[in-house]
Amino acid sequence: MAGVLPDALRDDAVTRPGGDTLWARLLRWTLIAVSLAFLAALLFAPLATVFATALEHGLRLYLASFADADTRSAVRLTLLTAAVVVPLNTLFGLAASWCIAKFEFKGKSFLITLIDLPLAVSPVISGMVYVLLFGLQGWFGHYLQEHGISIIFALPGIIIATMFVTFPYVARELIPLMQQLGNDEEEAAITMGAGAWMTFFRVTLPKVRWGLIYGVILCNARAMGEFGAVSVVSGHIRGLTNTMPLHIEILYNEYNFVGAFAVASLLTLLAVLTLVIKTLVERTGYKRR
Amino acid sequence: MSITLDQVTKLYQGVPVVNDVSLDIGDGEFFVLLGPSGSGKSTLLRAIAGLTGVDHGRIALHGRDVTHVAARRRGVGLVFQNYALFRHMSVADNIEFALRVRRMRASARRERRRELLRLVALEGMDQRLPAQLSGGQQQRVAVARALAHKPEVLLLDEPFGALDAKIREELRRTIREVQRELGITTVLVTHDQEEAFALADRIGVMNLGRLLEMGRPDDLYARPTTRFVATFLGAANLLLVRQSSGGLSFGGDASVNRSAESTRPGREREMVAVLRPEEVELAPDRSELTASYLTHGTVEEILFGGSLERMRVRLGNGAVNAQVVRADSDNGTAFLEVTRSQHEQRAFPLAPGQTVAIGARRLHVLPTPLSSFTACATSDAQALVVCRNPLLTELAVRMKTRVATRIEPTLGATAASPDESASFVGAAVIGARPGAVDCTEWLLRRGAEEVLILPENAVPPQRVLIHWVDEHARRATLAVSASLLRHVAAEAVYVGILPGAGTADEQRPLGMRALLDARSEAQSVHGLDMRTELHFGDVARELARALAESPGQLLILGVSDPAVLGERFAALLDATAWPLLIVYQPPDAPRR
Amino acid sequence: MAFRRPSVLPGFGLTFGFTTFFLSAIVLLPLAALVLMAASMSWEQFLHVVSTPRALGAYRLSFGASLLAAGINLVFGFIIAWTLVRYQFPGRRLIDALIDMPFALPTAVSGIALTTVFAENGWIGRYLSLAGIHVAYTWIGVTVALTLIGMPFMVRTVQPAIAEVQRDLEDAAETLGAGRLYVFRRIILPTVLPAMLTGFTLAFARAVGEYGSVIFIAGNLPMKTEITPLLIVIRLEEFDYRGAAALGVVMLVISFAVLLAINLLQAWGRRRIVATGR
Repeated sequence: MAGVLPDALRDDAVTRPGGDTLWARLLRWTLIAVSLAFLAALLFAPLATVFATALEHGLRLYLASFADADTRSAVRLTLLTAAVVVPLNTLFGLAASWCIAKFEFKGKSFLITLIDLPLAVSPVISGMVYVLLFGLQGWFGHYLQEHGISIIFALPGIIIATMFVTFPYVARELIPLMQQLGNDEEEAAITMGAGAWMTFFRVTLPKVRWGLIYGVILCNARAMGEFGAVSVVSGHIRGLTNTMPLHIEILYNEYNFVGAFAVASLLTLLAVLTLVIKTLVERTGYKRR
Repeated sequence: MSITLDQVTKLYQGVPVVNDVSLDIGDGEFFVLLGPSGSGKSTLLRAIAGLTGVDHGRIALHGRDVTHVAARRRGVGLVFQNYALFRHMSVADNIEFALRVRRMRASARRERRRELLRLVALEGMDQRLPAQLSGGQQQRVAVARALAHKPEVLLLDEPFGALDAKIREELRRTIREVQRELGITTVLVTHDQEEAFALADRIGVMNLGRLLEMGRPDDLYARPTTRFVATFLGAANLLLVRQSSGGLSFGGDASVNRSAESTRPGREREMVAVLRPEEVELAPDRSELTASYLTHGTVEEILFGGSLERMRVRLGNGAVNAQVVRADSDNGTAFLEVTRSQHEQRAFPLAPGQTVAIGARRLHVLPTPLSSFTACATSDAQALVVCRNPLLTELAVRMKTRVATRIEPTLGATAASPDESASFVGAAVIGARPGAVDCTEWLLRRGAEEVLILPENAVPPQRVLIHWVDEHARRATLAVSASLLRHVAAEAVYVGILPGAGTADEQRPLGMRALLDARSEAQSVHGLDMRTELHFGDVARELARALAESPGQLLILGVSDPAVLGERFAALLDATAWPLLIVYQPPDAPRR
Repeated sequence: MAFRRPSVLPGFGLTFGFTTFFLSAIVLLPLAALVLMAASMSWEQFLHVVSTPRALGAYRLSFGASLLAAGINLVFGFIIAWTLVRYQFPGRRLIDALIDMPFALPTAVSGIALTTVFAENGWIGRYLSLAGIHVAYTWIGVTVALTLIGMPFMVRTVQPAIAEVQRDLEDAAETLGAGRLYVFRRIILPTVLPAMLTGFTLAFARAVGEYGSVIFIAGNLPMKTEITPLLIVIRLEEFDYRGAAALGVVMLVISFAVLLAINLLQAWGRRRIVATGR
């Protein structure tokens, strides 16, 4: 609106006449102190503990934790899971957002609710529903056993459970973004004779690239870090069906704190990297709805 | 006095957003602060309200100094451009807010609320929510809310900016009526000159943080004293005129016989005159003009405007050089804006392409110095560099004036004798370089009254230092400084320098008195608010030192003898580090 | 209206088909299995399973601690959001970025880290146990963990609401005579309230289903420090699929109810935020 004073020219409560009272300053510093104390106890301390405990007995022991075969296979499993899950979910996200943002049809809100569902459901339930389907006593249990296919307590189960938990992330970023950006450019391209794929790659994808990146890194962080759902379907077989989070649990329960926190430190670094990329994406001006 | 502001200044990141504003508003007066966006008028209003602190100066409401008093204790009512109504409260709750804060009883509040709703013509709307009201209605609620606690002063910040034209007029009337009925001192901020004319008892025009002129609407329109006010308050044609003992002339043979202040015979001064479009008379031939003849012209464009006809007339007609020069164009050909009433149209219908004789019924000469700039150099290339100087172009744009070029091969040659026929008028501009002092003297001896010395890539200054070498040059220097500072958002500082550090203590009271005299003359005669500083020592050295203190400064130096420049200020002028404006007041010419 | 409005853009068939296939396989089918499994019990069996003392204990802990955690986040989350929006202090931008950490950090990591910090000999735990407060392996620890994971929800929901409070409204109130506290009570708080309630509900919903962060610090003693998700896992390990499904259905019903509440709250909030001016 024209003429509204920009915030920069506006005096703060403290700098305007009569505002710099002792009471006001006290309040300000108290609130800041309380916030910092709260965050320190709940967030900063645990973060620091991860590295402090991992390095408690020196760098060598820390690095030695990664030489362990079971740890190595846990890392491999996590990476493999992410490598399968993230691209598939990205594909889903792109398809779903194209479908929902560009067309009007009945049942759209139902579809959107379904997409939001995994975020509202406990991770344990997310894992459990697959046990109910593919477990020994599940719907398809006998069929699978007869054919020698293992889903639960094996890699496929882990992948499917992780997919359930992480597929909304990309879609949820892209749908509002595409809706906001509108269809005009794509329609113009089509009427000028461009094919569907060309329109998608040349027009749509560049438009949504920051939202896509944002969604993908969140999806990846959650995929690598998922605990509850994977815990239910994995069977906890060392060296075979343990992802990094599950391996942390095992190490911790064996009182191998250095080992547990060493693996945890890797995941923490991943989280930090995710936040850094997220901040950079936000700097480009991309605004989350 | 209801509201008194004394040298109020507000800085934002070092730049004065409100620059030394002083004014007095009387009881019950409707005062309008008028200016373009960014002129600081809203900031000034918020400072009066107490929502913004001031870095310098005093604010008094009804005799009470409120400079450091919180907004809620000042007894003001503020109406915002976007209403700022409390969306989660009904109209009634909004209006009663101030009363509820003061713990008024519910029944008393109700009564006052009804009274206010009647005042703004919104009876019966008590229980509506702001979202259910139109823009005009919301603004009325805002006005009622601001008046609930019977403030001493009502402040309105562009209150009608977000509304349609028709609603705007309705609300204007309402505000006027409310103000008259309550007799409350009111300050309204706007950029709409029509609104200012409609509402104001007095108008204060602001630009770049400074209060340029104050006065009754009709006075400001008919007799503006600055270029800015002349063009802001209505359409204006700015013409360059030469003022001499014989009257006003436009070059060539056209002249308007006006007894003006006579100058030394033969010596002309260039000035800017305002010719309003409605004061232009057009006739088929010079002999049929009732007003003074200006020049001939060709009708370029005619726009039908309802009650008025608007035209653009090209000055001069091909063969004949246009003698009338607009102050704000680069070359000689220019257009005149003309409006004619229906009556005039019928008397002399016109079509594009027709040749007409142009006469001026009423011309108002602006008392501002610095009518135009003439860039001076020894060669074309150098002149181009000077013309392109960022500070010069900025000044030309802001002062709505032109930059002419003049190549003088003998510029700076001390041996050359002054040639009367090629005299300079107005302000000359040269590039800063060693030898500038010689060029300056050369120009001053040939009639230039101001010389602007610009280093390459000079930028608009944040601080302007003012000094005159002797009392004779004081008035001229102040006039020029005031004119310049109206167009540059900078702090103005008068640097008074007394000789000899040894006698500092005795000299100080004398020096202080001189400073105060200078400051009060600047304020009362020239409308310039400036700070003062007192230094001791050698003039040139002290000035150089002050200039070297920080970048972004400009020095205005007034002299009455050009030789002084070479004798004492050679080093100062020849340094290429800072822009300098030399003001020359010849000893035998009457003061300007 | 027909199934869909015709459009010039291609790709509907492909994308719609893929989307529905994906959702059916990954979401609908498994959920159906859950519901049907629970429905295969008779009503009495169902009620019996979901109301054993152990289950009731789990509900008490899960919902109780989640409510408490969301309540704590209501207060502290508001303070943090206010501080981040209104005040300048060194490190503000860094802390603002770190608020999202619980989103990005795996729950197992925060679980073991919190336990270590609040254990008897942990950095914070040792001081608290001096005061007689035991955090690790008690319901207090559960609450602490749930507070952490709910914090970003609250802060990120309330932050924009605070940032959107029109400063002009505060200015207007001040010129009308109101002091800072009055302005806060009457102007700021009512405007921010819908966002605060939404944040509360989001934090609560997340807390109820949380598993990874909690099981390390909880102690997991039945009926004392056992959360509902853990009970479900135990039932699964005992191959009591029906029991697990029944408990899962209870949790789902609660989740949906909360989701509904969130949507209603957001709609209510939007109605109250009405545009001023034009």
